[in-house]
Amino acid sequence: MTDVADRPNGRRSLHDTDRHTRRRNAAERRFRLYGIAAIATGLIFLVVLLVSIVWNGIPAFTQTFVTLQVELPEEKLDKSGTRDIAVMKKVSTFGYAPLVDAAIAAALAEHGIDNPFDKAKKLRAIVSASAPAQIRNAVLANPELVGTTQEFRLLATSRVDGYLKGRVTRESIARDKNIDAEHLDIVDALRDAGVVQKTFNWSFIFGSDASESRPESAGIGVSMVGSFFMMLVVLALALPVGVAASIYLEEFSTQNRFTDLVEVNISNLAAVPSIVFGILGLAVFIQFAHLPQSAPIVGGLVLTLMTLPTIIISTRASLKSVPPSIREAALGIGASKMQTVMHHVLPLAMPGILTGTIIGLAQALGETAPLLLIGMVGFIASNPPETFVDGFMAPNSAMPAQIYEWAKRADPAYYERAWGGIIILLLFLLVMNIVAIVLRRRFERRW
Amino acid sequence: MKDNLEGRKLVDQMDVKFKARDVQVFYGESQAIKDVNVDILDKTVTAFIGPSGCGKTTFLRCLNRMNDTIPICRVEGDIRLDDEDIYAPEVDPVQLRARVGMVFQKPNPFPKSIYDNIAYGPRIHGLARNKSDLDDIVEDSLRRGALWDEVKDRLGEPGTGLSGGQQQRLCIARAVATAPEVLLMDEPCSALDPIATAQVEELIDELKQNFSVVIVTHSMQQAARVSQKTAFFHLGNLVEYGDTDHIFTNPVDPRTESYITGRIG
Repeated sequence: MTDVADRPNGRRSLHDTDRHTRRRNAAERRFRLYGIAAIATGLIFLVVLLVSIVWNGIPAFTQTFVTLQVELPEEKLDKSGTRDIAVMKKVSTFGYAPLVDAAIAAALAEHGIDNPFDKAKKLRAIVSASAPAQIRNAVLANPELVGTTQEFRLLATSRVDGYLKGRVTRESIARDKNIDAEHLDIVDALRDAGVVQKTFNWSFIFGSDASESRPESAGIGVSMVGSFFMMLVVLALALPVGVAASIYLEEFSTQNRFTDLVEVNISNLAAVPSIVFGILGLAVFIQFAHLPQSAPIVGGLVLTLMTLPTIIISTRASLKSVPPSIREAALGIGASKMQTVMHHVLPLAMPGILTGTIIGLAQALGETAPLLLIGMVGFIASNPPETFVDGFMAPNSAMPAQIYEWAKRADPAYYERAWGGIIILLLFLLVMNIVAIVLRRRFERRW
Repeated sequence: MKDNLEGRKLVDQMDVKFKARDVQVFYGESQAIKDVNVDILDKTVTAFIGPSGCGKTTFLRCLNRMNDTIPICRVEGDIRLDDEDIYAPEVDPVQLRARVGMVFQKPNPFPKSIYDNIAYGPRIHGLARNKSDLDDIVEDSLRRGALWDEVKDRLGEPGTGLSGGQQQRLCIARAVATAPEVLLMDEPCSALDPIATAQVEELIDELKQNFSVVIVTHSMQQAARVSQKTAFFHLGNLVEYGDTDHIFTNPVDPRTESYITGRIG
């Protein structure tokens, strides 16, 4: 440190940092480190989250199938020989089940695999319980198949599927009554023979939910449709109502006690727990207005209530961010208030409004709690809606409700599907965000 | 439109465009303007000068009722445009503002193309019957704004991409495009460099052949250069109003003299 007196004017040299400055600089460096540490922590959590989601969820996108040559004997399926659908319908899936057993036995014989079971029925544990129904549906759709031998691609049971994915092991089935080690030996042999194959599972994405005992045939497709119709309701109601309310509050209303009250309440509504909206929906839309239970229209209405404050707050913020000079310019030329807002303010605020709306929609898409109360959770979405109106009015599930439902079920195969469902939900949110960014860019380019 | 034209002919014979009597302006409880009486002449540049906060902008904004947009602002007294009370309840401020154009302190072009900036006013007032009409109005306005030669090849480009001085001339052209009778300018050169200022001042001088121009300015040199009439405001009062030459060489009121010589302000 240079002596103070060294300087001709008695002042400290600029090349010599004093203690105070050094302390300030150290504080700044520390603060930067805290910031970097915070961001790093966040990134680590994000990576852990993504990796675990992908790791757990990817298996749901593949599915094990058993390809079998199934003989469809006339004496069992159509005794009368008339090929009359009404008569053939009398043969239930129980009548078809032995065909599956025989087909598996035949496949074993063909590939020279030992059949360790004395009862043919025991072989059935390899394929899904839905297999006889699948064959029956095919036969009823085309009665000419009777009397021939057809190739069917049947779902393997969740145990076999899990065995191929490493979820089910020989140790873990020791106490499992559904499947034995002998079955796994057969599966190993059949896989080598190419009869048992693991392929991409389109029916997980586009299929419908199944009962608790058949996780292998459960898909998220129908609840995706439910979510889609709910989002239609939310978009059609929340966007116009929210934007109109914001424009009125921001551009037209005079500041008085009433508008103050409205504003405070809107801000508070944004913080209300979503389950409260759920019970409100139950009371108002289902019990009072008698809208159907579990229907996407009710879900959509509830989510609209929930999304409105988000949209209003973000719309008002983006209206506020439009410089007042633009309003003055338009008014100064003789534009009316309405023209000023519609021609100048709103287009400029549009990117912000769209972002807010998409954020609101994304929130609504992932919202589960209010759906619990209006019966969209626990509903088994086994049939897609038949008409557009049914899409709104017929009972359905929604993606987050479906995921919750799967996670709740006992079979570990459903747990895997829950993770898979999360991946699809996240992909949807990603797509929505990309759409928001693209729209924003396009609007911005125009100005 | 026709009525407007006929109205204009009358105006040509009339000297006084705006007649203000006993104008008081209040912002809530506080009074910003006290007892202002002034006659603004047609085809003349009138300058409002005075120290900051003296109410000259407030009074200017009374003339096209831009103060209406401020909820707490209240205007009393009588302001007449061509002998019609502009604060009469049946007057729609939107119609008034089409006849009394305004240019603001900071250039505020719309974030649209140069063409659309000019065409917006004529469009909303229905001044053009077809596209070629509108093209003519745009060209004519840009010529009057002394901007045509600079932008004629890039009318589709955004107005916000122009330089500050060009933007301000664009705003003047935009105000001219609605065929107003009076042009109010609120410190139009305060955000511009000396060259752009000179261009705008030249423009103002040309505009006075067709319009009555009222300009608020902080620069006394500017007032002396461009205006024929000058009004000096101080603390909400109109202290002195008269010919510019007279005010600057031979002020009557001692306050005017102190302001001009730089002792208050």
